[in-house]
Amino acid sequence: MNAPLEKRNRQTLLEKRKRQMRRATAIARTLVGVELALVALPLLVIVVWAFTDAWPWPDLWPQAFSARGIEQALSGRQNMGWDTLALSIGIAAACAVLTTAVAALACRALCHFQWRGRDVFQFATILPFIIPSTVFAMGIQVVFLQIGLARTVPGVILAHSIVALPYAIILMTDITRAAGTHREEAARSLGAGPWQMLRHVTIPQLLPGIVSSLSMCYIMSFSQYFLTLLVGGGRVQTFVLVLFPYLSGGDRTIACAYSLVFLVVTFAVFLIFELLLRRFGAREEGSLYG
Amino acid sequence: MVLPALLLLGVFVYGVGSGIIQGFGIMPFLDRTEFTLEYYEQALTRADLLGSIMFSLYFSFTSAILATVGGVALSALMTRARTGRLTRLFGIQVPITTMHAVVALAVICLFSGAGLFPRVLHVLGAAPDATSFPSVVGAPSGWGIIAVYLWKEIPFIAFMTITIMMNISSTLGEAARTLGAGSARAFFSVTLPLCRGAILRAFLVVFAFAFGSYEIPFLLEPTVPKALPVLAYIEFQDPDIINRCYAMALNGIMAGICTVLCVVYYVVLQRDGKRKRGRR
Repeated sequence: MNAPLEKRNRQTLLEKRKRQMRRATAIARTLVGVELALVALPLLVIVVWAFTDAWPWPDLWPQAFSARGIEQALSGRQNMGWDTLALSIGIAAACAVLTTAVAALACRALCHFQWRGRDVFQFATILPFIIPSTVFAMGIQVVFLQIGLARTVPGVILAHSIVALPYAIILMTDITRAAGTHREEAARSLGAGPWQMLRHVTIPQLLPGIVSSLSMCYIMSFSQYFLTLLVGGGRVQTFVLVLFPYLSGGDRTIACAYSLVFLVVTFAVFLIFELLLRRFGAREEGSLYG
Repeated sequence: MVLPALLLLGVFVYGVGSGIIQGFGIMPFLDRTEFTLEYYEQALTRADLLGSIMFSLYFSFTSAILATVGGVALSALMTRARTGRLTRLFGIQVPITTMHAVVALAVICLFSGAGLFPRVLHVLGAAPDATSFPSVVGAPSGWGIIAVYLWKEIPFIAFMTITIMMNISSTLGEAARTLGAGSARAFFSVTLPLCRGAILRAFLVVFAFAFGSYEIPFLLEPTVPKALPVLAYIEFQDPDIINRCYAMALNGIMAGICTVLCVVYYVVLQRDGKRKRGRR
């Protein structure tokens, strides 16, 4: 006798639930929107300042614009310009490739094999997280001076790779574990050689991890100030080394112009990584499951 | 397979180690090999050391805790809102890509005496002139430093937790909701506990980074107290090379504090793991 009533109750309950869910989603959307605005605000201020000529108090918008900041940032005056930019990108790219390769091997050993000292090794990989990089930088300077790596590009790349290593390992551990070894074993039993296996099985299945590790290491190296200053000893002039003095200096237009160039360059390279991932990731996934 | 990584880590340990022993007065390249605690004594009896340690600990703890709460919230909100790839790209990757020092510059442009925020206040009639707003550069409360770290690290923590959170939410979280748990309950009693490991690890990374880095405090800190890395670098730059022993002693203290905190973290984590296993 009560069945229709119960059914109706349950329906209103379900509807109420659904409405709640929808409201929660709407609130979540709004808050994410707020976060996006907070991310955008400082970047927009930098962009506006980079082209500002005069901005007297208390105006909310600059009085006059000019391109002198951007011109100086790209002109090659004061050690700056395309050479520095190319050197920085080269160092960062080398560091990204080196660190990612090393991390991929280390993750493989950590995830797929049992061996003595594995726990100690795992602990050692997070050491550069624990000990501040400033302590490392001040300690390694003398060592590098003795063995001739100080003030050289390889020395800077090596130092950057060391501090980026734990990030790369964290980014690649999960995916290495998830990928497992069964596909490789299948490939080997089908007669694949080591290179074939690496190219068609191992790298494609780790690709998302490899790409995020590459871009993280690239960013870390590209924006490393203190370590570059100490190891490079002023001889290896990367972009950040040129940029940094302007940050604390007086001319805000110049500082923002340099920062804008920095932002554009890092983000462009980052987008290239993303596009590569999507292109190759999609193709290999298709061939893997198709 | 681990050889290349061991090589890099070896260089790291060697670099840190050679710094630490210089703190004990041992500088083989200057033919000084006598062990002494003199520099540690000097460093530890320094009047401004305690202030520096407290200041460093204060702003890195505050940043790390707020960033963790914010980052987990952001990660949960993005999971809830089922945001698209582009939103995640902008909301998470862009701040990660931006350099810390550039964020510091933006904070200066926004909040310093003649910055945008005081101007808005002035237009609204709340601030009569450029000096009435508390300055962000050199503020003893270090709120500028914390603001920079929050802008950078909230997305970083979200980045470190969002993948695992999305997975859990779409499988176990969904199961909990089907069984009648509200979204909030499903989040706090299922998703959050399962993400704990990732969250703790992210917290530790952010704390250690904020504690040990030079750029942001250098750009935004007050004259006194100085953050530990800045203090150490000032001593390191002294033309008298023997003074480096003193800088290295400060570094030793800094590394020691980090190590102690990490050991505490591991003990807590291990004990927690054991308790959970025991219950099962």
